[in-house]
Amino acid sequence: MDFSLTEAQEKLRKEARAFLEKECPERLVREMEEDDEGFSPELWGKLAKMGWLGLAYPEEFGGKGGSFIDLAVICEEMGRAMLPAPYLSTVVLCGLTILEAGSMKQKTELLPKIANGERVLSLAMTEPESSWDGTAWKPEGITVRATPSGKDYVINGTKLFVHDAHIADYLLCVARTREGKKPDDGITLFLVDAKSPGISVEILDTTAGDKQSEVTFKKVKVSKESIIGTLHKGWAPLEKIIKKGAVLLCADMVGAGQRVLEITVDHAKTRVQFDMPIGINQYVQDHCAFLVSEVDSSRWLTYQAVWKMSEDLPCETEIAMAKAWTSDSHERACWRGHQVLAGVGYEVDRGVLPLFSRRGKAKQLHLGDSDFYLEKLMQEIEQWPPPEKFRGKPLGIFDIPRGKQVPSWQPWKERWEEIEKRKKERKKKKK
Amino acid sequence: MDFGFTEKQEKLRKAAREFFLNEMPEDFDPDVETMFSLTKEQTAFWMKFQKKAGKKGYLTPGWSKETGGLGYGPIEQGIVEEEWGFTGGRWPNASGLHIAGPAVQVFGTEEQKKKFLPGIAQGTAIWNQAFTEPDAGSDEANQKTTAVLKGNYYVLNGQKTFITTLIKPDYLYTLARTAETEPKHQGISLFLVPADAPGITYQAQGTMGFGTQLNIYYKNVKVPKENLLGELNRGFYHAMAAFEFERSGTGNPANAKRRLTEFIQFCKKTKRNGKPLIKDTDVRKTVAKMAIDIEIQRLIAWEAVWRHSQKGQLPPKGYDLSGFFNKINSTQHPETMMHIMGLYGQLRSGAKWAKFAGKIERRWQVARSVHPAGTLEVNKIVVAGRGLGLPRIPARFNKMIAESLQPKKK
Ligand SMILES: Cc1cc2nc3c(=O)[nH]c(=O)nc-3n(C[C@H](O)[C@H](O)[C@H](O)COP(=O)(O)OP(=O)(O)OC[C@H]3O[C@@H](n4cnc5c(N)ncnc54)[C@H](O)[C@@H]3O)c2cc1C
Repeated sequence: MDFSLTEAQEKLRKEARAFLEKECPERLVREMEEDDEGFSPELWGKLAKMGWLGLAYPEEFGGKGGSFIDLAVICEEMGRAMLPAPYLSTVVLCGLTILEAGSMKQKTELLPKIANGERVLSLAMTEPESSWDGTAWKPEGITVRATPSGKDYVINGTKLFVHDAHIADYLLCVARTREGKKPDDGITLFLVDAKSPGISVEILDTTAGDKQSEVTFKKVKVSKESIIGTLHKGWAPLEKIIKKGAVLLCADMVGAGQRVLEITVDHAKTRVQFDMPIGINQYVQDHCAFLVSEVDSSRWLTYQAVWKMSEDLPCETEIAMAKAWTSDSHERACWRGHQVLAGVGYEVDRGVLPLFSRRGKAKQLHLGDSDFYLEKLMQEIEQWPPPEKFRGKPLGIFDIPRGKQVPSWQPWKERWEEIEKRKKERKKKKK
Repeated sequence: MDFGFTEKQEKLRKAAREFFLNEMPEDFDPDVETMFSLTKEQTAFWMKFQKKAGKKGYLTPGWSKETGGLGYGPIEQGIVEEEWGFTGGRWPNASGLHIAGPAVQVFGTEEQKKKFLPGIAQGTAIWNQAFTEPDAGSDEANQKTTAVLKGNYYVLNGQKTFITTLIKPDYLYTLARTAETEPKHQGISLFLVPADAPGITYQAQGTMGFGTQLNIYYKNVKVPKENLLGELNRGFYHAMAAFEFERSGTGNPANAKRRLTEFIQFCKKTKRNGKPLIKDTDVRKTVAKMAIDIEIQRLIAWEAVWRHSQKGQLPPKGYDLSGFFNKINSTQHPETMMHIMGLYGQLRSGAKWAKFAGKIERRWQVARSVHPAGTLEVNKIVVAGRGLGLPRIPARFNKMIAESLQPKKK
């Protein structure tokens, strides 16, 4: 048992925090929310220089060979700073999928370019029909077709809620190449040049002002060489990376939640009403105490999953618990913040809380919401075996009918006798 | 970061589990058997079992070998408690193991340690924690019981209430006022009182789930001077410090997990409107949520234990959410489970038609008992105050406020 980070990880955290405080101030976050692109190439370049874009890739692919825990630490700090950057899309969801399933050629070509900030990638997965619920993240939800045509494939269909597609150089398109016996059979991953003819991207106006798009594929030609992994067998590597993404998104929410807690407590200490800091009121304290519980609970569920992933231990249960809980817990944490900040919590120009809660909404839904993960979790825990039976000799002294259990010690016995006596007296009276 | 245990720790876990499984009688069901108002036979069994566990060192694995433990650290202690929690059993001397014992360890004299600790470690002695009074609940410092020094004895007078015990106690770990002070918590001391001292009377309290609580009356009870624990008039501080041990329990979530595991089996076997409960979407979601609650409680408890094991190397955290989550989960889960059972939920164990042996009904009643070691509200105040540094109205104004609330006389 060890709930702490190593010295090196703490150092990484400190560096990350200092860097983001300087390079990603609240002003920038607000600007990027308003901005049409919502992306600062300059900042992206700096992230590359810091080594964050290749943090988790092996050195041979231009990375730093960092661990999954390192990645989580960085993501937590990014969440705290609300970094407006296509990090999860590019580095995690697409980059790690390429690392997981790509050919040597694809990896040597692409990963160094991701690591040095030259390429932005976006995962085009969810679709209009599947976006009502968790189907979006299930193989059943993939209906966009890629049909063979000579040496190439042709993709047709619409992807929705595609994060960062508007600035992407490549789209990792999850397409159906055949109707297999099971839904996950027949899914193929295509790395598509975002400038290919037939692709149109339209940014959707969302709560967070983060840039999610509708991406339409109209007879988009892609070559066989652009397949990442094996034809028809794209689901397994993709699912693996989505889980990693979900856990890192949790780490992001933990960082954001911690900041919301700090903002809230600070406000409770400094805002004066009725001549006293509002934090003296127990209603306000109640919000703050619950906020701590939301952030701490999310933190440990998340870091347990992070640790298990980094150790390559089986952790379906832990992942599902982390995302199912953290998604909604972060939402509740922001709500507590709004209750304590009241008016200024609603004011976008001065406060940052609106930014946190809007972005929280996007994170809550991205990569599977609580309903989705609760069902996954249930599939794990319904396998739990019943508790082992006790093996001691049966004594026959436990199963005594109510009222017949005569206590051994005097005070209890007196009370028992008293009740029995009253019962008898009442019976007598009735007769 | 490491959420696992060492091989050695896993070995200890396995050994403890095997011991408990082998010793607990086949026909004991923790949620059906009452565990209160024990019969003669039950009392004898639990005392025998507690002593056996004591011999193995499983009652106090974290204590030094000299004081009857296994010389392990807090983590190992947490492991054994977790295994014990999972069985659903309760040590008759729970208050001694978790509260009085650690307090003697920390604040006791050498003589006191020699005299009192072996009985706790070996499972022969039963301790109660007798703090609460009719007018001193959350406001523990409002002690009205007095202890007056007369020669070699302190003489105690007053009433304690809601004092938990499963079995006739041998000692009472009690608070009493030794000085009239302002603020009032600076005049309180801790005493280790032999439970059979003349002048003590016990009265059973009827409580939900049939109760394990007592009223205790002290009338001119003579307690030897050497039974004062720690410093005179520092008892309140000592007691609060010792509470920390009770609050970081790994046993509670393990116990909750046992119940949920059994409930999942019940939901698999039981049909509602022709369909197994487990296939119902609402039931699935609810059960999964409870599993998360329990996992959170487990992690929070382990974080506290781990912190404890790092004492001196880490700055204190100022708050511990173990109690907070325990109080919420242990009241909400039975309610949630009962809801799933419809009308059947209200049937008590032993009742005709009772489903799931009436276990949930019993838990539902017992769940109303979650106030020891501070109510949920008091826990939150501690988190807000000590943990987050939020202000509170200084106690010296309390009387002023109370006076201002009095109706004005013309
Ligand atoms: C099953 C059971 C077992 C127990 N076992 C023991 C035992 O073994 N030994 C022992 O000494 N005691 C024991 N107790 C007593 C327990 O510690 C007290 O019940 C508890 O401290 C609360 O005190 P009270 O019941 O007097 O409630 P009160 O203090 O009267 O509180 C009533 C309500 O007011 C709230 N409240 C009080 N003060 C404040 C405040 N300042 N701010 C906000 N809210 C406040 C409380 O949170 C609660 O909601 C036991 C109690 C129970 C129910």
